[in-house]
Amino acid sequence: MKQAIALTVNGDTYEVLIAPNQTLLEVLRDKLGLTGTKKGCDLGACGACTVLLDGEAYLSCLMLAVDAVGKEIVTIEGLSQGGELHPLQKSFVELGGLQCGFCTPGIIMTAKAVLEEEPQPTEESVKKKMAGNLCRCTGYKKVVESIMSASGSMGGKQ
Amino acid sequence: MEKQFNVVGQRLPMVDAAAKVNGSAQFTDDLMLPGMLHGKVLRSPLAHAKILNVEVSKAARLPGVKGVVTGAEIPDRQYGIVPKARDEYALAKGKVRYIGDEVAAVCAIDREIAEEALDLIEVDYEELPGVFDPLDALKEGAPIIHEGVANNTSFAIRKEFGDVEGAFAASHLVSEDSFYSQPVNHAPLEPHSAVAQYDPIRGQVVLWSSTQIPFFLRRNLAATLQIPESRVRVIKPKVGGGFGQKIDMFAKDFCAAWFAMKLGKPVKFTYERDEVFIATRQRHPMYLTVKTGMTKDGKILGQQFLSYADGGAYNSTAPTMMALSCFFLMVPYHVPNLLYEGYHVYTNKPVGGAMRGHGIPQARFAVERQLDLMAERLNLDPAEIRWKNSIKAGEPHPGGFVINTCGFAESVKAAAEAIGWKEKRGKLPFGRGVGLGGASFPSGVTNMSHISSGAVVQVGQDAGVNVFTGAADIGQGAETVIAQIVAEVLGVKLDDVRVTAADTGITPLDPGTFGSGVTVRAGNAARIAAESVRKRLFECVADELEANPEDLVAKDGVIFVTGSPEVNITFAKALKAYQYKDLPMPLVGRASWMADTSEPTTLFNQPGNFSPNYSFMTQAAEVEVDTKTGKVKVIKMVTAHDCGRPINPMLVEGQLEGSIAGGMGQALYENVITEKGQVMNPSFLDYGFPTTLEVPEMESIDIETDDPVGPFGAKEAGEGTQLSPAPAIVNAIYDAIGVHFNELPVTPEKILKALEEKKKQSA
Amino acid sequence: MRLPKFDYRRPESIQEACAILLEQPSAKVMAGGTDLLVNMKHRVETPSTIVSLKGLPDLDFVRKANGEVRLGALTPLKRVYNDPFVAEKLPALAIAASSVGSYHHQTMGTIGGNLCQQTRCKYFNQSKWWRSSRPICFKAGGEQCHVAKKEHVCYSTYCGDVAPALLVLGAEVILTGGHGIRQVPLEEVFSGEGKTPLKLGSGAILTEIIIPKQAAEGFSTYKKSANRGSIDFPIVGAAVWRSGATGESRIALTAVDRKPVRARQLEDFLKGKQLDEDTIKAVDGLVAKETQLMTSSIDSLSYKRKLMGLLVQGALSEAKGGK
Repeated sequence: MKQAIALTVNGDTYEVLIAPNQTLLEVLRDKLGLTGTKKGCDLGACGACTVLLDGEAYLSCLMLAVDAVGKEIVTIEGLSQGGELHPLQKSFVELGGLQCGFCTPGIIMTAKAVLEEEPQPTEESVKKKMAGNLCRCTGYKKVVESIMSASGSMGGKQ
Repeated sequence: MEKQFNVVGQRLPMVDAAAKVNGSAQFTDDLMLPGMLHGKVLRSPLAHAKILNVEVSKAARLPGVKGVVTGAEIPDRQYGIVPKARDEYALAKGKVRYIGDEVAAVCAIDREIAEEALDLIEVDYEELPGVFDPLDALKEGAPIIHEGVANNTSFAIRKEFGDVEGAFAASHLVSEDSFYSQPVNHAPLEPHSAVAQYDPIRGQVVLWSSTQIPFFLRRNLAATLQIPESRVRVIKPKVGGGFGQKIDMFAKDFCAAWFAMKLGKPVKFTYERDEVFIATRQRHPMYLTVKTGMTKDGKILGQQFLSYADGGAYNSTAPTMMALSCFFLMVPYHVPNLLYEGYHVYTNKPVGGAMRGHGIPQARFAVERQLDLMAERLNLDPAEIRWKNSIKAGEPHPGGFVINTCGFAESVKAAAEAIGWKEKRGKLPFGRGVGLGGASFPSGVTNMSHISSGAVVQVGQDAGVNVFTGAADIGQGAETVIAQIVAEVLGVKLDDVRVTAADTGITPLDPGTFGSGVTVRAGNAARIAAESVRKRLFECVADELEANPEDLVAKDGVIFVTGSPEVNITFAKALKAYQYKDLPMPLVGRASWMADTSEPTTLFNQPGNFSPNYSFMTQAAEVEVDTKTGKVKVIKMVTAHDCGRPINPMLVEGQLEGSIAGGMGQALYENVITEKGQVMNPSFLDYGFPTTLEVPEMESIDIETDDPVGPFGAKEAGEGTQLSPAPAIVNAIYDAIGVHFNELPVTPEKILKALEEKKKQSA
Repeated sequence: MRLPKFDYRRPESIQEACAILLEQPSAKVMAGGTDLLVNMKHRVETPSTIVSLKGLPDLDFVRKANGEVRLGALTPLKRVYNDPFVAEKLPALAIAASSVGSYHHQTMGTIGGNLCQQTRCKYFNQSKWWRSSRPICFKAGGEQCHVAKKEHVCYSTYCGDVAPALLVLGAEVILTGGHGIRQVPLEEVFSGEGKTPLKLGSGAILTEIIIPKQAAEGFSTYKKSANRGSIDFPIVGAAVWRSGATGESRIALTAVDRKPVRARQLEDFLKGKQLDEDTIKAVDGLVAKETQLMTSSIDSLSYKRKLMGLLVQGALSEAKGGK
């Protein structure tokens, strides 16, 4: 049976009719048109679908949409404010922390959660927490550099 | 290097970077069209079987299902990326040849119904005996996978350059060693996807596809649909990595187009991750035996190769792959005499195809390993043996290559120095070691047909620059590099240039992204097109500046007289001047570029210059082996790299870093494991390519050369660099623990076994 | 990969959740969902109803009282290992929880869910189409076990990281069911059957984990060997606890059998012994004896055997150092 639910995504509330077997990833992409969140494996093993739920990094492919009711969901589309890129986004652009860009939204959302939790992380900590975000293009060097640089430029602030 | 550039050579962000970090960059699966239907492919669960009957009526009757198609219904036209090796149908006809072979496809109003419909298709198979190893498949009496292909050998190559027997007779040491390189999956993060829509006004089927080769795809699609090429338009959205896996046409492309034409509605097919692992392409597993003759001081006199590539069920790029494997044995070392014999053999397994390096990594692994083996036998330094044998620019090449620039010898020295070779090799404590590997790669494949690129540069009334190129950016930054080239020529900022790319309906012909030809080929086309614009603009303003057009320079949006920067006009004003002189607008420059080929032939028939130019590189690894667990930690990896002049050093570095991770995966982690043709690890979880925690510290050293053929002196970057990380790492493992590994990947288990063996022997 | 259809229930109390489970034997409880949803996408678990525990209050806590540590079953793994007391006094648990999957799994996954995860097998954890190449396996509802090549058995392997740590810490769990509340040693919830690895009792939910006071008074650690530094399940995992007072050792292993295994014979062997080099050396030959290794993963048995010895020896060496 389909049911109407309300999801709060990037500060807006959306009413959507969904079936319980729809993941948050499917609803974000197919129903809300928020296709910045990517489906890389759909089995929780690549991190490409990462979104923030109440500030924490969640794999939206392993989350029922119905279970996201009442949570503050932030997707990559909601990260920048007023047309300005978020410092993390800027850092990835300037330091070449991306190539094909498919894993990038998930990487940036995870990094956002990591810096939220640990504003001045060590490189080792960043590597450990980012390890669930696979990237096949960059070899991760510039990914880690982008996050470290953003954490520096943000002065430990979110 | 004396030349000064403003946009070329700068570390500039990709032109589409901002779109990629804010989620607005659209990949194929992100496209949502009104009324779009969703397709799914039914795949064979059997490795080898006759299809007796496919019953689709139940599936077709399921509410919401809009179409079902089987192999029996599609035109009898095989396709393949190499014309002489076409052996594949979009949907199997009469027979399936591997687990994953496409049998039928459905499309429905949503994915759920499409999946349900697949379950309702009943296929009667008559199972046939399968064969899963190329050495078995070659044997008399082995199951025949393709009718008429004897010994399952779909392609054989035998080339002799010089006199190998004579070389061996003159050698001080002749060694024969055998090697094995495993199947590797490209595993791009974006699963393969296609969206098709019929355009009734133009009578065209439009296909958006995650492809590396829009124009080849158009050709294959038109041929298999049996419609003229002009009735097909292929558009490449953003592509989430390819590494060669997106070079072929796949069932998703054909079926999306088929249904879109039949139903008049947009149709999307997106593969699941396990379909990507099982049913697209992989690096060919290869058995290699190498025999090399050397002088006492390590000079290579001759080499003989015997290789068997496990092609899986279809050819894909087989002939090209084998030819690359053969010809590129004669770089980066001077090999005066070579005999190569190679066989591409069908098995009932996933299909081999182009993958970053394309047939060369396997051969390179064998050669680079054997160089270390022979250096040891001759008591020579492996680094010295490499630069001593380095091929040199201008040297006559047995295969007909024309090498204008070559920084290989310098790259060996630079990489060795950066890794601390002298202090470390043979001197580190047990468990630590350093190793090297060298390589060379073409910047595009010249002597094949249809390998040319076009470009159009158009300047509008607002002085904005539009570039139309067929080049297919798959994440490597092709559009950025082309924009930089155009901006440099016109003396404008990168931000003033807009690139429209990879749309067969509006952009000029381009073969696509393979063989690392984009920067040189499409870059040269863009350069010449921009130069033609600049020439006319200079001619127009020369009077006003009271100078000869030849004396003008364009830089930072200003055109000025060489030596007198105060005599100038802005680019925008120059455009106005052009208009007011009643010269026809828009100002358009066009170019088509292809490399000089003295032999307008294909590489299979006769030797010749393979590529417009060649990159060279040496990679050095330092590793630490945990002798208790067998785990190898790559501590550092240095790449010293001659890619001519890098157009964008940041992107070049990114390429090197990515290829290190890839090469390291091949050395230590990755393997497509099969049981009777079934892939046992078709997931990111079980395939396990490296994460942030595995990759080493990386250092890139640029050995700059100024290549006369490449745009602004550029050569290939990023594909060649995946050739030598694996042998460099395995050579370093030898230095660390004194064990030679000649089979990939070198897993902790293999290391523990070898260490035990070693202990037993020494006891 | 789409999820199959199911009914969704989100009870607001444990009692309500248990009632649904009693009513519908084919319903499944979901905590973080990181294990169940993957299996459902593969169609190896197809419950009629998902009972989502995400609406339950009060099961997300780490409490210390009377020296005991009580963990709510819905406590995310990240909260468990970030708890200062757990990090300092119960390192086996902290290390195990922080080695589960990736950072995301540690954020989403719960400690109760991690304990109750399904067993794994290379023939089982695959898509429905993939599995159609062979007869449906016993665990997925068929007859044959492709590992054992026998009928009506299942040799899938328990691969949870947290269970061995909690086993050596002497943890007990609270099972809340339609028939009341029971507190049992953790070990008792594992059936040792590959097909149905958990025996919680009908309608019961694991709601709480209790770690006795004594656990924090000894040395403990968890050692994991996996292909990569993150994401992966263990090839082998081993937890060791050693009492500072009595010298008693407890050892448990994961990814070596259909359940997490307490190595009791090995513990007996170590009883009263100093952890000197000879003793630790002797462990190597003993550790694999209490497990039933089967080739249910792509890793070889001989390698797994080697790792078992290695990990336990490594842990004991640390215990000897009294770290």
